[in-house]
Amino acid sequence: MEPSITTTRSRRLRRINLAFAIVFACSLSATALAKETEAEKAAKEAAAQEKLLQVFVNEPYLELATGPGRGYPVFHVVERESSVDVLYRRTDWFKVRDERGVEGWARARDMRRTRLADGSPFVFNLGDRDGFTSHRWEIGIGGGDYGGANLLNVYGAYSLTDNMKVDVTVSNFLGNASNGWKAEAGLTHVIVPEWRISPFLELGTGVVYIEPRATIVLPEDRTDQTAYVGAGLRMYLTRRFFVRADYRWHTIFTSRDDNEELEEWKVLIACFF
Amino acid sequence: MESSNRLLLLAATLGACFALSGCQTIKGWFGKDDAEQQQTEDQAAAEEEAEDADSTPPRVIEPNVARRKIKTPKIDNENWEVGLGAGFLSIEDFGTNPTYAGQITYHVTEDFFFRGDLGQSTAGRTSFETLAGDIELLTGDERRFTYYSLSLGYNFLPGEVFLGRDTAMNSSFYVLGGIGSVDFAGDQRLTLNFGAGFRVLPTDWLAIHIAVQDRVFDTDLLGETKVTNNIEMVLSTTVFF
Repeated sequence: MEPSITTTRSRRLRRINLAFAIVFACSLSATALAKETEAEKAAKEAAAQEKLLQVFVNEPYLELATGPGRGYPVFHVVERESSVDVLYRRTDWFKVRDERGVEGWARARDMRRTRLADGSPFVFNLGDRDGFTSHRWEIGIGGGDYGGANLLNVYGAYSLTDNMKVDVTVSNFLGNASNGWKAEAGLTHVIVPEWRISPFLELGTGVVYIEPRATIVLPEDRTDQTAYVGAGLRMYLTRRFFVRADYRWHTIFTSRDDNEELEEWKVLIACFF
Repeated sequence: MESSNRLLLLAATLGACFALSGCQTIKGWFGKDDAEQQQTEDQAAAEEEAEDADSTPPRVIEPNVARRKIKTPKIDNENWEVGLGAGFLSIEDFGTNPTYAGQITYHVTEDFFFRGDLGQSTAGRTSFETLAGDIELLTGDERRFTYYSLSLGYNFLPGEVFLGRDTAMNSSFYVLGGIGSVDFAGDQRLTLNFGAGFRVLPTDWLAIHIAVQDRVFDTDLLGETKVTNNIEMVLSTTVFF
């Protein structure tokens, strides 16, 4: 018995070591790759220079930090009237390159005060209360209750207009009698998008996969079509965040004689962008 | 006499001819003729325009200076981060085993992010199984421990790490917590997860993470229902896009 324990342990240890070695190798090779392609990247970027947005500093100076966060030190300033090329954006920071080729991160609040080549202000989505009213995408995660089962949700929505959104929700429910998954697509109508707490109505359809728990004798796994109507509230929190709570009334079109009706409520924390 | 008369008459005729022709030129001296000509030309043009008025709109003077149209290029947003990792997971009562995981993160602000984790591990044998010999509590399939979680994370302690004299890399410490589920021993359970991690960015688009998370769920696998803590440590590489 003794040798078998040691072999199990050593095998397991070896596997853990192997796993670590693989990840380290991946990390190192990725870092090496990053270094190798730096020159290529620079060349490519130079070629794509015309495609980059150029903005002019309109304040006495523009500060550049080493990283996209308030903790990172400012290492360079760009003087008034000179230009920077905007490489890309991450959260509320812009990676920019100045006329001398120095690259750094400028905060969105400062970039808001720069100007375009024609003198007009550089306008972009700042992620504030106005953004809550009018935005393109939103994603969120949350939980709730689905006919007595615990519900986990992830959802994404695309705004057709400020009022109308197309949304897709993927849910996992874990109940005492059964577990399962469902995926639904629908339309959401936000009645007054300007309000901080704004009600909405929803309508959609999808599929539900129900897997009865092993301990309970029930018909086998099944996949059914489902449809819902619902209503809820969206409340703006701060920055890009909002809370979305809703109630949905589902009809599951089962293969039996009767359709099943289920209630769902959930609360999600979501962000827009 | 007669000849002188005739000469005089001839001279008078010639003189009159010159004088009259001179008068003809005088008309033009004050521009009156030009004006008349202009008038007639204008009239003709007006008539032409009147004829054309039905087919084309009146001509508008177009400025020679074309306004420069500045097309603002779209700015690339790089808020998504995706990656793979490996590490180990300590499944309560079932030993510590290697785990492989994938993660996707959306950075909402510089402080907060949403993260999804998906991973798989295989549970080992309980000490009871090892000591009792041939007893197997779970089948091979049931030993597979598949989990996912949806978390909200917060970056704090952002800073830089230094590698030697010349290399500084951005880093950040983060905490996260969320909900998820685990599929283990033929059953799916709701989990709560919380943990902390450290992230180093060798470049702006590449990150190396090391994170420790506890995945907590209820189980009645070994008789009584109890809360199990399953601690996981994963080293992963991610890229921003």
